[in-house]
Amino acid sequence: MADGSLTALRDLRRTRQLHRLGNLDWFEAAYRVYLLGGFGGGAVLWISSSIKDTPLAESTAAGVLRNGPAALGLLVAIAFMAGIRGGAQGGPIALEAPDVVYVMLAPVDRRRALMRPAGQRLRSAMFTGAASGAVIGQLAARRLPGSLVAWAAAGALYGATLAGVWVGVAVLAHTVRVPRWLASTIGLVAVACQGAALAWHIPGPANPAGSLGLWGWRQHPTDLIAVAVTVIAVVVGLLMLRRISLDALARRSALVAQLRFAVTMQDLRTVILLRRQLNQERTRQRPYVRLRPSRSGHRGLTGSVWRRGWSGLLRFPVARLVRMAAIAAAMGVLQAEVVRGTTPAFIGTAVLGFVLGLEVMEPLSQEVDQADRADALPVDRGELMARHLLAPAVALIPFAVIAGVAAILTLGGDSAAIVPVAILALPTVLGAAGGGVVSIVRDMPDPTSSSTQQAFMPPEMAGFTTTIRLAWPIVVSALTTCTVLLPRTAVRLGDSVTAASIRAALGATLVVLLIGYWVRVRDRLRRRIRAFLDEGKSYSSQQRSSA
Amino acid sequence: MTAALSTHQLSKDYGDRPALEPLDLEVALGQHVALVGHNGSGKTTLLRMAAGLLDPSDGEVLVMGHVSGSMEARRSLSWLSDSPTFYDDLSLWEHLEYVGRLHDVGDWQPKAEELLDRLQLGTRRDDVPTTFSRGLRQKAAIALGMVRPFDVLLVDEPFVGLDQNGKTTLLELLDEAAAAGSTLLVATHELAFVGRVSRLLALRDGMLVYDGPPNDTDVHSLVLPA
Repeated sequence: MADGSLTALRDLRRTRQLHRLGNLDWFEAAYRVYLLGGFGGGAVLWISSSIKDTPLAESTAAGVLRNGPAALGLLVAIAFMAGIRGGAQGGPIALEAPDVVYVMLAPVDRRRALMRPAGQRLRSAMFTGAASGAVIGQLAARRLPGSLVAWAAAGALYGATLAGVWVGVAVLAHTVRVPRWLASTIGLVAVACQGAALAWHIPGPANPAGSLGLWGWRQHPTDLIAVAVTVIAVVVGLLMLRRISLDALARRSALVAQLRFAVTMQDLRTVILLRRQLNQERTRQRPYVRLRPSRSGHRGLTGSVWRRGWSGLLRFPVARLVRMAAIAAAMGVLQAEVVRGTTPAFIGTAVLGFVLGLEVMEPLSQEVDQADRADALPVDRGELMARHLLAPAVALIPFAVIAGVAAILTLGGDSAAIVPVAILALPTVLGAAGGGVVSIVRDMPDPTSSSTQQAFMPPEMAGFTTTIRLAWPIVVSALTTCTVLLPRTAVRLGDSVTAASIRAALGATLVVLLIGYWVRVRDRLRRRIRAFLDEGKSYSSQQRSSA
Repeated sequence: MTAALSTHQLSKDYGDRPALEPLDLEVALGQHVALVGHNGSGKTTLLRMAAGLLDPSDGEVLVMGHVSGSMEARRSLSWLSDSPTFYDDLSLWEHLEYVGRLHDVGDWQPKAEELLDRLQLGTRRDDVPTTFSRGLRQKAAIALGMVRPFDVLLVDEPFVGLDQNGKTTLLELLDEAAAAGSTLLVATHELAFVGRVSRLLALRDGMLVYDGPPNDTDVHSLVLPA
């Protein structure tokens, strides 16, 4: 019976593949590849050209050799933690909802039925890891001993191993049914051990895996242990696929379908929202602090929205607060790297700030998602949305402090850095988070446009618009994070760093204020523009009819 | 004699909220059972655990003596969800073929054609069910649940969205399945249906509050929340 069922499964997959290929718009697909190639290649070239070609000093290179395995191993340990936690939460495999109901509930060998989706997951992760590793490897080759090909190959090997660790450990954790608390504990211990290895130069559990990343320079055959362990984890995980939880598959299937759609639509906000649901991250039933009931019933618009904002913010789960703190710390580290000379790092800060904005602006997101409710209120929507920025902005203050502390520590605890960091931290974090605000507010239903306008957009224009849509919020965030270049230039020129920091902070504050103003007047501006265009059209048609 | 469906201390909680308190239950072969309760009483949770789609927090469910979700249990049990899902690139007929073949039904076509005719879906057999209305989707799901052989049929809210004709056909199909010796467990808010079954189970806030013949109780009082 099982063989007949598996034959049916193979036939179905073939039929569906043929249907999909038949429905594929090849021109559209080619255009997307062209866009991705153009922008992706351009970004790699730009970052490559931003990195100096002069080899590192001997002492610095020795430092890379000494700390490299532990530092790269730390990334592997983080991948291990992500994998074991993801597996405990039901990852990493996701099936379509009908597959769960029709295939998984049929008398078929689940291991054989799941082998293909599991293999696809592994392949895509390893390909992404290897490609990213190769790109970073060729960048390393510019400043470190070793050939470009060797570094690219070593980067690819390291990236593929890292991805293999993530997927293999996730499948294992899922099939062994590791409890979530235990997965978090094991993951944290692994990261802590590797962090200790980096800090105190002791052997770390992920050092061999990290050492693979330096094979472009020198090769240690013992590092292949990491590859062997990864392969074993993957193979054992695949052999245990029969034990996978249908509960998790059913839960993830619907979310993953939405997630794929959101990715297709470049809707990053929805992607993040769905990732939270995938990880079963729920807001707390009870807030950390219960807000006192208002003495007078009437609070006004600002007071009501402020209170509503804190009611949501005080329900953030611990996991999200920790993630936000980690993002803020990473922002601080990257800004410090900009000061130390790695200019493109400010784009990384912008991306992180954008994500932080999406995280903290939850009350605003909820309002946008419940558009009908907001539209039914007897207040201007722009006024309402602008007030939603206040509570999250205040909530960002501790994260700005975290970012500032991380920046100062990255700069070696230099006391001269304290004043500029204190001046810049809050405006930078607020402005960078502003990209998230732009992304959220932009998704509000437009009171003036109709879907038919977009439907008739030519493909060339649609592709360009899609790219702009994806990049624009990050650009807004980057406008703020690039202000750190002012104090950096002041340091190089011997000018007053404090004065430059104040100028930079003013620039960042201006961006923040402009975002707030845009949120407030966006609808009104759009209506005016639409009315102006309609007036022009009716005037033209009158002219034509009179002629 | 092996029960068609049995639960032993079966419970489920979602975090700090219990959805089903520990439940011991036996449903004999060929029994026709209705499961009632207010919204959130635990009906769907119980059915999904029996189908193997939801992991119990504690306890176990056996289907024809086999742990739910096992190969043998899957062979015996058919599950009809209240929110059916379909592949968006397969026609209804291709769905039927697929489900029939997955269950190794050699001669699935006559059964499929009969089901489509009775459910008035014959003219829609080459259409993709994801484009159907709520009622037609429900009918398509019924066809998919019944095109394959089963000993136990679990049905969750089968009448939602169905027109009168569809309800009548479904009742006939359920009666025929029961007459053929299958065990039926149907969760429903349609209290009129309760009169057709031999046994009534009522859940309230995750606890079994009634288990007996449907005629010995006031069904309306059973479906009120505490």
